[in-house]
Amino acid sequence: MNVSDDISRAKRKAVFPPWLDITVKVGGVLAGLGALYVVFLLYYGISPQAMDIGYQPEQPVPYSHALHAGQLGLDCRYCHNTVERSAFASIPPTQTCMNCHTAIWPESEKLLPVRESYSTGMPVEWVRVHDLPDFVYFNHSAHVTRGIGCVTCHGRVDQMETVYQNAPLSMAWCLDCHRAPEKNLRPVSEVTNMTWVAPKDPKAYGAELAAAFDINPPQDCSTCHR
Amino acid sequence: MPPVDPKTYWRSLEELGDTEAFRRHEDNEFAELLPEDLPAGSRRRFLQLMGASLALAGVSGCVPHPNNPTWPRWPKTKILPHAYRPDGTDPGKPQYYATTFEMNGVAKPVLAKSYDGRPIKIEGNPEHPASRGGADAFAQASVLGMYDPTRSTGPARMSGGETAAPWSDFLGDARQVLRVAERNGGENLRILAEASSSPSLARVRAEWQQRFPRMKWYEWEPVSRDAERDGTRLAFGRPMRPLYALDRAQVIVSLEDDFLGEHPNAMVHTRDFAHARNPDGAHMCRLFAVESFFSLTGSNADSRHPVPSGAVTQVAFAVAAALANEHHVELPAELSPVLSAAAQHGAHHPFVSRLAEELAGARGQGLICAGPSQPASVHALVAALNVALGNAGTTVSYAADPAGDRAGHVASIRELARDMGAGQVKALFLLGGNPVFDAPADVEFGDALPHVEFSAHLSPYRDETSQKCKWHLPRAHTFEAWSDSRSWDGTWTFAQPIIEPLYEGRTPAELLASLAADRAVTGRELVEATFTAAGAGNWRASVHDGFVKGSAYATSVPALAGSWRPTTADFTWTEPSAGACEVVFRPDAKIWDGRFYSNPWLQELPDPMTKLTWDNAALVDPATARDLGVGMGDMIRLTAGNHTVDVPVYLMPGQARRSIALPLGYGRGFSRRMSERGREGKQGGGFDVYPFRGSETPWRVASATVARTGGHYALVTTQDHHAIPNVDNAMQASGQAQRLPELYREASLEDYKHHPEFAKHKVHHPPLVSLWTEHDYETGHKWGMAIDLSACTGCSACVIACQAENNIQPVGKKEVSHGREMHWIRVDRYFSGDIENPKVAHQPITCHQCENAPCEQVCPVAATIHSAEGLNDMVYNRCVGTRYCSNNCPYKVRRFNYFNNTRHLPAVMKMAQNPDVTVRSRGVMEKCTYCVQRIKAVTIPARNDRRAVRDGEIVPACAQSCPAEAIVFGDLNDPKSRVRKAHDHDRAYAMLAELNVKPRTRFLAKVRNPGGGAGHGVDHGNDHGADHGGGHAASTAAASTGVNG
Repeated sequence: MNVSDDISRAKRKAVFPPWLDITVKVGGVLAGLGALYVVFLLYYGISPQAMDIGYQPEQPVPYSHALHAGQLGLDCRYCHNTVERSAFASIPPTQTCMNCHTAIWPESEKLLPVRESYSTGMPVEWVRVHDLPDFVYFNHSAHVTRGIGCVTCHGRVDQMETVYQNAPLSMAWCLDCHRAPEKNLRPVSEVTNMTWVAPKDPKAYGAELAAAFDINPPQDCSTCHR
Repeated sequence: MPPVDPKTYWRSLEELGDTEAFRRHEDNEFAELLPEDLPAGSRRRFLQLMGASLALAGVSGCVPHPNNPTWPRWPKTKILPHAYRPDGTDPGKPQYYATTFEMNGVAKPVLAKSYDGRPIKIEGNPEHPASRGGADAFAQASVLGMYDPTRSTGPARMSGGETAAPWSDFLGDARQVLRVAERNGGENLRILAEASSSPSLARVRAEWQQRFPRMKWYEWEPVSRDAERDGTRLAFGRPMRPLYALDRAQVIVSLEDDFLGEHPNAMVHTRDFAHARNPDGAHMCRLFAVESFFSLTGSNADSRHPVPSGAVTQVAFAVAAALANEHHVELPAELSPVLSAAAQHGAHHPFVSRLAEELAGARGQGLICAGPSQPASVHALVAALNVALGNAGTTVSYAADPAGDRAGHVASIRELARDMGAGQVKALFLLGGNPVFDAPADVEFGDALPHVEFSAHLSPYRDETSQKCKWHLPRAHTFEAWSDSRSWDGTWTFAQPIIEPLYEGRTPAELLASLAADRAVTGRELVEATFTAAGAGNWRASVHDGFVKGSAYATSVPALAGSWRPTTADFTWTEPSAGACEVVFRPDAKIWDGRFYSNPWLQELPDPMTKLTWDNAALVDPATARDLGVGMGDMIRLTAGNHTVDVPVYLMPGQARRSIALPLGYGRGFSRRMSERGREGKQGGGFDVYPFRGSETPWRVASATVARTGGHYALVTTQDHHAIPNVDNAMQASGQAQRLPELYREASLEDYKHHPEFAKHKVHHPPLVSLWTEHDYETGHKWGMAIDLSACTGCSACVIACQAENNIQPVGKKEVSHGREMHWIRVDRYFSGDIENPKVAHQPITCHQCENAPCEQVCPVAATIHSAEGLNDMVYNRCVGTRYCSNNCPYKVRRFNYFNNTRHLPAVMKMAQNPDVTVRSRGVMEKCTYCVQRIKAVTIPARNDRRAVRDGEIVPACAQSCPAEAIVFGDLNDPKSRVRKAHDHDRAYAMLAELNVKPRTRFLAKVRNPGGGAGHGVDHGNDHGADHGGGHAASTAAASTGVNG
């Protein structure tokens, strides 16, 4: 029995075939990439972009909130007039637009879809910006009549040429406020005021309001899920 | 079968016999891994498909969404606001409109809840005297009927295959036909209409009669109360309509009259009956029922006597004889010649003297009523007895029949069919109805119809009758058009459109008026013109209310005409010969005469008595079945003359001996969608028994031979589903028997007076110690419910109300057979006592919203957790479908979505869904929420207005629909609330409280009023009165040891 015999026998007995070496290397790289992919997915999943923040679809009519609510100073409730009594703030009927636009810019090309709707009775097809899942029941009236300002969730709409989504509208974001509403409370008379600033420390002021109006937001599942 | 202890309750004969089938339901709550549910194919193929779908799912994630290429995450959705918002509407806020639903010529007044222009829920009209807030299952399910995808969308020529044609084609043809008909005064013109009480249609009809003086107008309904008209004509000389005031009655004797179930005025009767039966009131009324089948009314009777339908006449006349002979009631002279014979004939009904005694003892406060299946002579006798006893004027009054001069329905259709067969009919307009399907077999309507040169059928479906006509015309649904009708008491009631018509349908009045006027006449024009002509007041106010106040028929107590000559033939009854049985036809409790056949809510609703779904069956009493050698589901062939019918047997305890009941309306094969589903085995469909129905005695076949065919048919009933087993000895046969009296607690009135708190002492348990730190509910709202079992009649209107409100999907016959029906509220029906004549207990069960909810403790993902107001919230989006919660629920009220039941819903049916309630998907558990969306719809606006919620402001769907007002909901923290008072009531008990689950629903125990010493068999548990506490010391110690250990 000599050494070369031993080697050849060992070769024959090898448990793993030689091509496995390269497979292990490639596999290792792939696993690394996979891990990176998972990290990327997680990062993307919680990024503001994924949460739809900044979603700013083009609307059929280039309606400018910056002009109407900002420069002209229309109150939000002139158009969104059901916000204090209904779950929906509601997009105004064409009629509301035409209250003014029969006299102002009656010939404007940009207003063509509005005039069309006014004469045919068919709706203007606005694109939904704030879209909650169908199993979530948000109620506008429950918030504005308790002193949550429009700006708190919708941002500075008075500066938006085209409306975009300002807040993540995620459950965690909702619960942040439901757990500690003080920082977002304001007098009910100021809910549509985009530039309102608390007269003192917002948290302390909010706590006073919460105590005065018995603001105690529920955190039950059925508050939103029915 | 062994003799039954009178105290024992049972759901079904299977349970009583403790058969394997029942044990399987009880032991295996989740019927799963059924071989037929799994796709065919090998394991290898399965893995291939799974791998491929996984890979493709990954690929699809890389493709932008087709609706929104720039933003890959969500589909782009649109908001379409009104161009002109109607006054008083806020988007997203439902509105209620008063309208009506006409059935058998009687208006059922309702409120339609409309969401953004589409009706989604029907409720009773609380201001209407014929509803008072209650609405039956038919009216509530009618909204789904409107969204029925099998509805006809437009007119069609039906000769030589269906070809769609515009209305103008039909109107042109028909006007031509009418011009020809006008030449001979309409000699060959006929109209066959469904019963209708519409004053507008009557006005249009009068105009037609003027234009075509020799035209004949017939009316046909397969289920009608014509016998009552004929009987009152005998008694009073003219047809009268009896109107019951049950709240004034102390003794009621029903002669096969299902006044709580199939009567057109059942909603009002149920409310009045519940008031009359308040065990805490001054007088609790007593109900006797004499009937062949087990009706809902019979199930609520204190004393029920199963008697073949044909022998009920004997009982009626024997009671009259006993009243005259033993109680010296002065009966009209024309009765005296037959009284001695009547006494003789009735001698073998031992209960007759009791009935007479009770009636005589409650003169002026008693009531005898007879059902539509009884002959005219019984109705005449009943009228005479009510007058003689002084009941007429208090418990019953009479209104002149609104169509006193019309011929009977059977006579009408017979004459029409004869004329058609003889070629005397050139033009025929059928306004609704489906006579080819439901006319008596010997009339042979379907054979005669093709002989008519021009026939047009106005119908919501292209059904059996449309197939044999020259034209089919789509009929507008009641919620799509203007119409009017009268409720049972005569109140003029309006229907207004709640939705833009889905299809091109028209109402009968619109059709006739448009044909006559050479232009499209709208229903609104017609109704408003009728209203103005009648000078009935303010149109807008009446439409708002839905009816004209004070427009009910004038009632009176007419004098007996004295011209009726009863003979012994009126009450001679011969038993069917050996091997034969009597057969009694009944309208079905769910699909009525067949008109609701394609309504899945109603098809899946368990029948209140048999708990059958999707099918009908021959109801046979167990003893007769044993004699015949047949069991549940065995096919039998009934033969009478040259008519035969094959039906499966359903063993119905309490059915009269040798009397078989056949529910009408099933076995229709007209609808493609329905028959496809039928082939897949998802649906039953039942058996058409109309071919067995003759025109001579349309309600009864006196003697039919019964033979086994040897076949078997799988009937599906829910009676053994969701049984609440005794945890300690679920495996023992006695488990259920012990448990049921604890679940359903009842006593006789005497026992209740003697021991008011009987219900509280049925179950004994050690002091309850919780393992958990319990939540404090003493501040804020504490929602609770109370269900009064004394008031509940078991009508099941709540089941449909819940289904409509909460988007509960029907699952089909096959799934129901696995116990997978989705109803959030079920009405458990228990029998007790004698199999031949059991007592019945109805118990609605919903989620009890336990404070220590066992379901919450086992959910691994916290998908069901408690709210601060004590609701057991179910969060669909968290649920992963382990079903642990349902497994742990002692009440068996949780329902699991084995399939995505909404995925293949036709778009039009999705319009019926309530946008305030999440639509659930596959793999998700669901259950009663106390209608949390209705709670929020009140509490949020109340809080917005900074005011307190008023008691009674929040009404869950079940409580809203309940005609007996048996269900009360409210805030338990409000000491003045009705629910708080109900929970503190003597009769209140919490079911399964011994499990320390602290249910928020309590029942008020049932009190029966059998009288006559019959009630002392009921255990009232007062033997335990003294030993509370001490006697349980040992078990308390054991319990605490258990906790510590």
